[in-house]
Parts: sequence; structure tokens; C-alpha cells
Amino acid sequence: MTDSADTWRDRLSEYLDEALEDSERSELEEHLEGCEECRETLVELRQVVARAGKLVDAPPARDLWPEIAYRIRETEEGERHESRAGTAEAGSSLAGRHGRSFTFSVPQLAAAAVTLVALSSGIAWQIAGGFSARQAEPAVPVAQAPAQTNLLLASRIANNDYESAIAQLERVLNVGRDRLDSATVRKVEEKLALIDKAIDEARQALSADPSNAYLNRYLVGTMRRKLDLLRRTAALTEL
Amino acid sequence: MVPDTDLDSQDAALAAEGDSGAFERLYRRHVARIHGLARRMAGPDDADELTQDAFVRAWQKIAQFRGEAAFGSWLYRVAISVILGHRRRLAIHRERTAPEEWNREGRPSHERSSEIGMDFDTAIERLPARARHVFVLHDVEGYKHHEIARMLKITAGTSKSQLHRARMLLRATLA
Ligand SMILES: [Zn+2]
Repeated sequence: MTDSADTWRDRLSEYLDEALEDSERSELEEHLEGCEECRETLVELRQVVARAGKLVDAPPARDLWPEIAYRIRETEEGERHESRAGTAEAGSSLAGRHGRSFTFSVPQLAAAAVTLVALSSGIAWQIAGGFSARQAEPAVPVAQAPAQTNLLLASRIANNDYESAIAQLERVLNVGRDRLDSATVRKVEEKLALIDKAIDEARQALSADPSNAYLNRYLVGTMRRKLDLLRRTAALTEL
Repeated sequence: MVPDTDLDSQDAALAAEGDSGAFERLYRRHVARIHGLARRMAGPDDADELTQDAFVRAWQKIAQFRGEAAFGSWLYRVAISVILGHRRRLAIHRERTAPEEWNREGRPSHERSSEIGMDFDTAIERLPARARHVFVLHDVEGYKHHEIARMLKITAGTSKSQLHRARMLLRATLA
């Protein structure tokens, strides 16, 4: 039987995967003997499954590690410090993107946790992404001896290519925005406004407390997020 | 020679202690498979970024990896949840830019002959989203229907029927 109401045709994958009950399986096998279309389909389905099992995974065309390394350095303090707090290592050394080395001490992170409560902007929180809520609980003894601390000052990052990269991406976006649908443009603009607000807040807070580790890290992370967002959106305009 | 799974366990333990060098070794051993998964599930445009997101998430969660399963399986779970989360966020945009090209009859809406010789990976990318996800997870990655059902928040029955749908569509690419 080869008519359009051939319900066995829909069961062929289950048959192939040996997922049919015994009784159904023998019924289907009986049907197969008389139905050429199902027999052919079954052969093709087997080939599809065999191909799926032989797919080869080529590595990505570009090395994705450097950006991952950068991002995990950024989240390192936030996500895992509570597990390392109290060990002999009071500080954790981080290498900056431009080869600078900087260190956050445990007491500073405790201070940062307090600052965080003061910052308390839910929006800023969301954008900061990689920081865990647990960070807000200062489980770290503040009395511990402070380690030698070299802070990466956000202002130094600003002196790098950041501003010009932002400006360039904004130009690309202005030229290409017609190619984006209005919902996307609106979303991006909303996000950018939130990020800019967070950057402003962080800069203001830093001017009052320039050596605050958390604020420095937070500002750098927020600036990076702005770059990422602009880059991704600019890429969309090229589709 | 030490098997990769043993190297993985060692490096995962080191990475959980904050050793980013060990984590980079894990990245090098697994990036091709994670990238392939991301590309097939979400398409080539987002694959790089999703791969990076998946590894960053894995780094953040690696303390939770207890070593009961192989590191590779654990990493896969993390990657799948990142990829599916991304899919949900971008759903609207994607539907607009990549309308379904296959009709409901289980055949491409255009000439079948034009599909012959089409790269199998490309054909997978062109499947409707749900059928593609189920197919990749089941036939490429080897997950069971009940596992896929949990990941995709669908029933096992839907998983089965979407798998069949995907396979039927992909027959068109067989030369
Ligand atoms: Zn039949």
C-alpha cells in the first residue's frame, strides 16, 4: 500500500531506532514487505543517520581563546573569590590586555562588596553579568594584611584605543542602521543607554574613590560590554 | 599515553582551583566539538560568540563540576544551555532573517534536484529550528529523547516526531 494515508511512514524513524514495541515492529515489517515506498524511505533514513554520525568538527577559523581568557580574568574575582578567601594567597594576579599586571587584595574585594551594595543599581548589575550575587556577602576577613596592590586605573584604559574604537563603531552603525529592523535598533539603543548610564555612574563613583578595585574592574567590564554590543550590532548591519 | 578523559579530569580539577592554563588546555581539546555544536544548533554567524560564551560559563561553573560524568559531557550540557538561551533571546530576529524554507510536506519547497550535493551541514542549518535542535542533539550528539525533551522543554513524543521530520527533510540532500 502506497497511499497518502500510509501511517507506517511516520513510524520509520522509531523502527530504525529500535523504539517500537514488539507487536508494532512485526506489523511494520509485514507492511514493509508490501510497500516499496516505505522500504526506500527506510534506506534513505538510514543513510541520513549514518551521515550524522560521521560529521567532522573543524576547529573555528579564528582562535577564540584570547577573548575567553580576557573574559575569564574579568569574572575570576567575582565568581570564585569566596572559595579562595582565607588561603595564603591574599591577592590574585591578573594580566591586563595590554600586558599590565594588576592585583586585587582580599580586603579590597570585601570593600568592593560593600561598595556594591551602595551602587545597588539593578540595571548596572544586569549589565555586569559575570558577577555573582554571592559577591555581595563579604565573607572575607577585612583585618587580613593587605597585599601589594597595583590597580589598573580605568582612566588608563580610556587613553587607549577605546574611545576611537567606540567612535568608529558608532559611525558604522549610523551608516548601516537602515539595514536593521526597528525592533533591533530600539533594543540596541535601550541597551546602550543603560550601559552609558552605568559607565557614568562608575566614573562618578571612581572620582570619589579612585583606588576602589571593584569600581575599576566594573568600569572596565562595562566599557568592554559597550564595545561588544557595538561590534555585534555593526556585524548585523553587514548581513 | 594518558587518555584524554584522564587529562580532562586533571585539568578540570586544576581549573576549578583557578588555573587558567589548565582551562586553556580543556578549551583546546574541546573547542572543535563545541564550535560544531554551536554552528549546527544556532548557525555559523553566532557560532564563535556562543562558543566563547559557553567556555566562559563553564569557567564560572567549573567548581560545580564534580567529576561524576566525563568533563566533555558536562561541558556539553553547559554549552547547550548557553546555545538554547541565546536562541530564545534571538528568536524574533532569526525568524525575520531566516524564514522557513521547507514546506510542511517534508520536502523543500523548491526543486528537489537543487538540493542534491548540498553540503550536509548546510542542510542541517536550513532545517526548521525545532527539528534542527532535536536532530543535532539526537543523531549528531547522541542524546536520548527523554533528555532532549528536558533540554528543549518539549515532550518526548514531540522530540520523536521532530526527529523524524528532520530526517525526512534531510533525505533530500542525499546525492
Ligand atoms: Zn508504506
